Amino acid sequence: MEEQKPSREVQSSFRGLYRNVKISVKTLDKIILGGIAAIVVLVLFGVANNGYTVTFDSNGGTDVPSQELMYGDLVAEPEPPSREGYEFAGWYSDENCIYPWDMETNQVSRSMTLYAAWVPEE
Amino acid sequence: MTKLKANKPSKIEELKAMTPKDRKRAIGDLLMNNAMFIIIAIAVVGIYIAEPTFLSLPSVVNIINLTAAKLPIALGVGGCIILAGTDISAGRVVGLSACIAAGLQLTTNKLFPGLQVMPVPVAILAVLVVGACVGFVNGFFMAKFKLHPFIVTLSTQLIVYGIILIFMQLGTNSGQTLSGMSESYRNFVTGELFKVGNTTVPRYVLYSAIIAVVVWVIWNKTTFGKNMYAVGSNEDAANVSGVNVTKTIIMVFIMAGMLYGLTGFMDAARIASVNANTGLNYESDAIAACVIGGISFVGGIGKVSGAIIGVLLLQVIFVGLNYLSVDPNLLYIVKGMIILVACSIDMRKYLVRK
Repeated sequence: MEEQKPSREVQSSFRGLYRNVKISVKTLDKIILGGIAAIVVLVLFGVANNGYTVTFDSNGGTDVPSQELMYGDLVAEPEPPSREGYEFAGWYSDENCIYPWDMETNQVSRSMTLYAAWVPEE
Repeated sequence: MTKLKANKPSKIEELKAMTPKDRKRAIGDLLMNNAMFIIIAIAVVGIYIAEPTFLSLPSVVNIINLTAAKLPIALGVGGCIILAGTDISAGRVVGLSACIAAGLQLTTNKLFPGLQVMPVPVAILAVLVVGACVGFVNGFFMAKFKLHPFIVTLSTQLIVYGIILIFMQLGTNSGQTLSGMSESYRNFVTGELFKVGNTTVPRYVLYSAIIAVVVWVIWNKTTFGKNMYAVGSNEDAANVSGVNVTKTIIMVFIMAGMLYGLTGFMDAARIASVNANTGLNYESDAIAACVIGGISFVGGIGKVSGAIIGVLLLQVIFVGLNYLSVDPNLLYIVKGMIILVACSIDMRKYLVRK
């Protein structure tokens, strides 16, 4: 690919998104190092305040408190919610209640909401 | 490649011949130009110390799988960046293709009531056509009207998002998440390729590898690829030397669109549930990966291997931070800053070269 590049004089007339850049290398170095320092601080801040929140959407039932968990943890089975005229049918990982969340095997890998499924009482 | 290898020893000799001051500067340049890699290496070591399972076999296989899933879109955006442009409609095109692929593969189809599950090749063809159409619009407005790529792709991003929302309202679906895709489709994409230990490597890793090889051949071995580099490094010079600039730009964007389509096709089966927000912000990951991998905004500079390395490094970092249970909201800020810093480093290389 090197040999396809036009000569430097030609290239300097077209610099893509950088064509109007007027900055010294020294300043740029400071910006780069500052940016890296900011990223490091942010990541360290994130690691210091880590943890995922699992919230429970009881879909009209009684409120269920959310849980603070770490990556790979299992969700602790909460007290099942109750709802007038319905029977609780487990927690699901999606709003449409298609994918059930297995409290014994499914591990937490992000902040998420679990949805309660209900079946009408006979 | 051989040329690169031959250059290396001479660089060391050069370093020896320099005065101490020049040598210090050359080493400084080397460190600054590779600052992103150094930081990522340090981060990987740090994450490994905090969470040794991070570099266990299943985790490494998982990182490779994720890299494969995000590679086609990065290669597409990479082509646009080589043209000294960019493409911020990429994520939405991935979303639209995912919706279409899923819509053709639902077992109980609420979008098109009564539609049977389509054969997999029909879905592939559909996403390729849709991607190519959006790519054509992008490329046409960029090439013909010399509009800024950000503006053109911002418009198409909005247009595509509108189409996604309307598409999801079809039939009796009323915007709900699409799930329950046919077994044949899911198996075609996520079926087992082979096993490493107890971890499955899905088939889409193979598809992604094939795509990378095809893109490599197009970029490096075809006239079109050479024209792409020529237009990227200097449009006027390319025009003077007889390259059809308009056609090249349009073709690059069409190819990018097709690659987004394939990403969407794989993503729908991979994630198994598709909604209007599928693909949101994928372009930011892809742009970040390309810039980290040395595909320069100067134009005309970049390699397929760079894109692969960029995607891989980005996945390593984000999977690692995921292992440390870092708040995903914070990761957006980190990603944005990585793009800024990577661009600054890219710019620095250019400034020093001058």
